[in-house]
Amino acid sequence: MAPKAFGIVSSADSSIYVEGLHDYRPIGSFSFLGRFRVIDFPISNMSNSDINRIQVYVRSRPRSIAEHVGSGRHYNINSKRGKIQLLFSENSSTRSIYNTDISAFLENIDIIQRMHQDYVIIAPSYMVYKQDYRQVLDAHIASGADVTLLYQKVDNAREYFRGCKILNMNKQKGIESLEKNLGTAKEKNVFMDTYCMSKEVFINLIKEAAWESSIYTLADIVNIKCKEMDIRGFQHRGYFAALTSLNDYYNASLELLDYNIASDLFRAEWPIYTRTTDSCPTKYLDTSKVTNSFVSNGCVIEGTVENSIIGRGVTIKKGAVVRNSIIMAYAQIEEGIRVENAVVDKWAKIIHAQNVHGESGRPQYIRRMDTL
Amino acid sequence: MAQVEMLAMILAGGRGSRLKDLTTKVAKPAVFYGGKYRIIDFPLSNCANSGINVIGVLTQYESVLLNSYVAQDGRWGLDSKDSGVYVLTPREKADEGLDVYRGTADAISQNIDFIDNYNPEYLLILSGDHIYKMNYEKMLAYHKEMGADATIAVRPVPMKEASRFGIMNTDGKGKIVEFEEKPAKPKSNLASMGIYIFNWKNLRKMLVADMNNPDSDHDFGKNIIPRMLGEGKKLVAYEFSGYWKDVGTIDSLWEANMDLLDPKNELNLNDSSWLIYTEDVSTLPQYIGKDAKVKHAYITQGVRVEGQVTNSVLFTGAVVAPGAKVTDSVLMPGVVVEEGAVVTRALVAENVRIGAKAKVGQRNSENILLVAKNVKGGNK
Repeated sequence: MAPKAFGIVSSADSSIYVEGLHDYRPIGSFSFLGRFRVIDFPISNMSNSDINRIQVYVRSRPRSIAEHVGSGRHYNINSKRGKIQLLFSENSSTRSIYNTDISAFLENIDIIQRMHQDYVIIAPSYMVYKQDYRQVLDAHIASGADVTLLYQKVDNAREYFRGCKILNMNKQKGIESLEKNLGTAKEKNVFMDTYCMSKEVFINLIKEAAWESSIYTLADIVNIKCKEMDIRGFQHRGYFAALTSLNDYYNASLELLDYNIASDLFRAEWPIYTRTTDSCPTKYLDTSKVTNSFVSNGCVIEGTVENSIIGRGVTIKKGAVVRNSIIMAYAQIEEGIRVENAVVDKWAKIIHAQNVHGESGRPQYIRRMDTL
Repeated sequence: MAQVEMLAMILAGGRGSRLKDLTTKVAKPAVFYGGKYRIIDFPLSNCANSGINVIGVLTQYESVLLNSYVAQDGRWGLDSKDSGVYVLTPREKADEGLDVYRGTADAISQNIDFIDNYNPEYLLILSGDHIYKMNYEKMLAYHKEMGADATIAVRPVPMKEASRFGIMNTDGKGKIVEFEEKPAKPKSNLASMGIYIFNWKNLRKMLVADMNNPDSDHDFGKNIIPRMLGEGKKLVAYEFSGYWKDVGTIDSLWEANMDLLDPKNELNLNDSSWLIYTEDVSTLPQYIGKDAKVKHAYITQGVRVEGQVTNSVLFTGAVVAPGAKVTDSVLMPGVVVEEGAVVTRALVAENVRIGAKAKVGQRNSENILLVAKNVKGGNK
């Protein structure tokens, strides 16, 4: 069946900043669970939902996203019928208040107008979840709503999801307003920054937002429109992470060390695609002691690893101990060194510092290519 | 079609019957190796890394899986405009009817039309079932430098084993003076690796003549090479010294996998300048569980270990359940070792299930046990 919707992968609001990691790449390019990047999730969700025309909006530092997404072939998108476009917002600086999703859409409005599909699914590149968008679209069409928003009911909105918006809903799942999560209550409906609407409604919203205020975002205009339009919620269930701070990134990653949670997010019938690096399998030596960890290919492990996520091509030498940490690709942990509660960025070498540790739940960040 | 300087033809028709149940449904080149690869990934990746863009793969025995596997040429980066991996199976021809490939040379002869399309200067002949990394570009440079009619890659083998191989006797300057197939009293220890570079125009003439010769076995080693020597052609030996393995038996396939755990192993699969490419599978990274013990092991993505793994190689998606013990073994893709089962000195074929508490293999067994069928759970 020909796809009814095209997809848009949007980038995080300029108010969202993840300590350390974000200095080098947009959140979509963050490494996730060792062998993935965050953007693999929205693109795989779209691809698995038969969406084969996808626009990826890149706000800043495009190199890593451009390299990773490339032609999109590894996302199982037909190279003739489908297409992934990388669209850059060129007219405003990275962290400027003018650099909104609306301004990026407006810059590319002709491309949006030319899409053949009647509907659009907009999903963020800084959240991790699994969702069949065909279900959202079917519910959207059946309900006759103008806009449908994806949300998750959470019971930890006080500590987490602080960079997110929450939905205030009436009993019929009609949305009354969107507001920033101020952490005032545990139970909230967190907006997953994912929209479903017709192309026509989308274009009108872009134009109206821009006309009202040059700093309005899509969420702002949808909030304003709640009163006059039929805007409804669609509830998502299962693993959901919003990577809006280093703590959230760290905790959401380590949560997947519970294999039941991980295997629910990664199901054989719902593959999460990524770009292969053709690294060989990982070698465990005689002295290695690894427990409760995800390990990517291409590593050489001689030391101890507990409750951690190890990226591709990492070296952990004899006597080294890595605990409750995320070690990214090609990092090197030398002999006898202890790393605890840390996020070690790509290519970092820990050679001289005997102890690197953060607090439980509040990780220490080690910079990309740094030598300690 | 654009002319290519050197075209490669990979002989991948062999059954590999000594690999027993592993090759009843797939040809030997498609057999799994090294945690995530199939054997044919090696010659194909070597070609890709050597800048060879057009490759014919000659298949015959149980070729359905192999044909569909190699046809996905993007896996080896061989999908750019002038590149391609082409599956060449025996076919019915207008004037002759269907003919199987009668020998290694005949497989090439029957595809002269394919080769002519690319009008190559040189033809590289490879075997689809050897594990090694080699730069064929360097071999071609040597071939040109020596002004040879044919160049044969050789490697030194221990003298006492030389009578098991096809041995090249050289004049000390690299020129081959004699070829002996499995000589009782070998005069040299340079064994042919089944890798040849020929000047295509000349080889083409010889193949046309060979096709119509009723006395020929249509084999490179038995017929073409001796005939070239007899005609006084210049054949040179190109010496190769790296890791090379022809995995003919279950024991040698197991051993080749175990070589990857040897600290002195010469086959580095982690060299970013010469990667071996293979099928890309979407899985989780490998997960090592809370009570797992993993020592001296080679493990790839998608594997889940909850039990004990020692001195073993685990392929994509293999599962070792809590309390299970896997020692000195190779678990191919999708193998499940259920709770409390013990696997020792075994090679377990794709998707086989070893039932809970079952015991397979023995610590001091003379040969490696091949487990190709599901094993029921044990009672102990």
